[in-house]
Amino acid sequence: MDALCAEFAGARADENGYDLARTLSPDFPNDTLRAIWQSCNAHDVKSVVKRELSKNVTGMQRLSHQELAGWVEVYHAYWKAVGELLAVQSSWTKVFGAWTELLTALLRGYNAHGFEAWTIPCLYVTGKYLRTFAIKADDERNSGSLTDNKAAANFQDDFNPESEQNATLEDCARQLNKIFNICLNDRAPLDLSRKWGIYYVTNLLFKTYFKFNSASLSKNVLKALSVGRGDMPDLAAFPKSQQVTFKYYEGVLCFLEENYVEAEKYLTEAWNNCYKGHMKNKELILTYLIPCHLLTTHTLPSQKLLEPYPGLQKLFGPLAQSIKRGKLHAFDLALQDSEDEFVKRRIYLTLERGRDIALRNLLRKVFIAGGFEEPKEGDGGKPVRRTRIPIAEFTAAISLGSQETLDDDEVECLLANMIYKGLMKGYIARDRGIVVLSKTGAFPGTGL
Amino acid sequence: MASAQSSSKNDGKAVADSKQPEQPTEQKTAAALEEDDEFEDFPVDDWSVEDTEAANGGEGTQHLWEESWDDDDTSDDFSAQLKEELKKVESSKRR
Repeated sequence: MDALCAEFAGARADENGYDLARTLSPDFPNDTLRAIWQSCNAHDVKSVVKRELSKNVTGMQRLSHQELAGWVEVYHAYWKAVGELLAVQSSWTKVFGAWTELLTALLRGYNAHGFEAWTIPCLYVTGKYLRTFAIKADDERNSGSLTDNKAAANFQDDFNPESEQNATLEDCARQLNKIFNICLNDRAPLDLSRKWGIYYVTNLLFKTYFKFNSASLSKNVLKALSVGRGDMPDLAAFPKSQQVTFKYYEGVLCFLEENYVEAEKYLTEAWNNCYKGHMKNKELILTYLIPCHLLTTHTLPSQKLLEPYPGLQKLFGPLAQSIKRGKLHAFDLALQDSEDEFVKRRIYLTLERGRDIALRNLLRKVFIAGGFEEPKEGDGGKPVRRTRIPIAEFTAAISLGSQETLDDDEVECLLANMIYKGLMKGYIARDRGIVVLSKTGAFPGTGL
Repeated sequence: MASAQSSSKNDGKAVADSKQPEQPTEQKTAAALEEDDEFEDFPVDDWSVEDTEAANGGEGTQHLWEESWDDDDTSDDFSAQLKEELKKVESSKRR
């Protein structure tokens, strides 16, 4: 404990919040944790902390009476939590409980004991591990007492296994929300404001909500943020790790709402600023950016882009190939093969819409195969493609591409859809059984 | 940046600590928790523009994305088959 208090003094002298936060970390070897635990007992822990803090923090840095009392409470709670971590009989639920008390002591420090804004990394560390412990507690309960749960399920009609499974994590989210509010509602001048903590805790909340599949709660966070944004520092002034994480989640949230244009914007920002060496996060960004690109700009990832990511190659490679070549059947198979992965990542429905692009490419091939009209006088010698195409030709192409037999009515329906979606320009002349395509830009954006 | 420094100091400390490998497994479970498909914490808090993806080949992503159609694959089986099919349609109409 005296070592921690000495570190506290050092961090305070430098006003280094990250150094300070390290004194509240559970991430030490057990020996270190045990040393902390054994350095005091339940009776003297408060007086030890008080004595050590007063002894170490001297001169200009001297803590006010009020602040000192606050930090004594914090380290008391930390000490108890360390005890839970070390206890053989302890459960993660108990660790979570003790860690919640630590967070409560910290929050009280800001509300009642005048803790300064530079210390907010303490909230980061506490919040981060609170979430870790909550997930462990839920896992422990779900795996440990499966049979009990089943028994309960049989008796209760309104038993909701999903929410039950994440009960601790949901509690954790409520705690994290308190951090969010204490940062958001700080009225101090900006350079002394806890508002600088807002994006870290927002990202932590996103992660937590995503874990229990509640994107809508994340939207609430975004709303609260945009209301308060006026007197908040610009996102660009925050560390890049926070910027990128925030943009990623903002992008994925838009993606889930099928707002692909916005999603693409945010994800591209996340991509551009991402740390070049972090393959895992870059892969995650691309997982959503690739379907976005497919729908908004009808572009596909190049070999070069996918090369460093075998996982993405496997996921998107076959799909991209089949789209490019207009092979509808291969597209369906590729979608089916990775269905579980796609669903898990929530990109299945988006990718499914890529079939339109595959179909467009197939129809485009028919158009190209049709060749050119006989040159007429007054054309200026520029060859004009044949724009009157029998529906039978499209039927043949689509039947070949999808490897199922379609009749002309079904094909007309598909063609009408393509025209409606703006992927093909022209009209269907039913009585003559032909499609008349536009002479200029029959397939917009594809150079034809 | 101060934050980047602090994290590198952090690393130094972690190395020093790991010299006592007592019950490393339990330690791991207490601290490390990264899901398969979860956005991970970055190893550093902040980085310079030179270390971003944009400055390292990701910028102006134009060359990383390509058109969704392919006009150069006329030689592959599928295109050949398609030509055959279209010819059949044409000839059946003439009959």
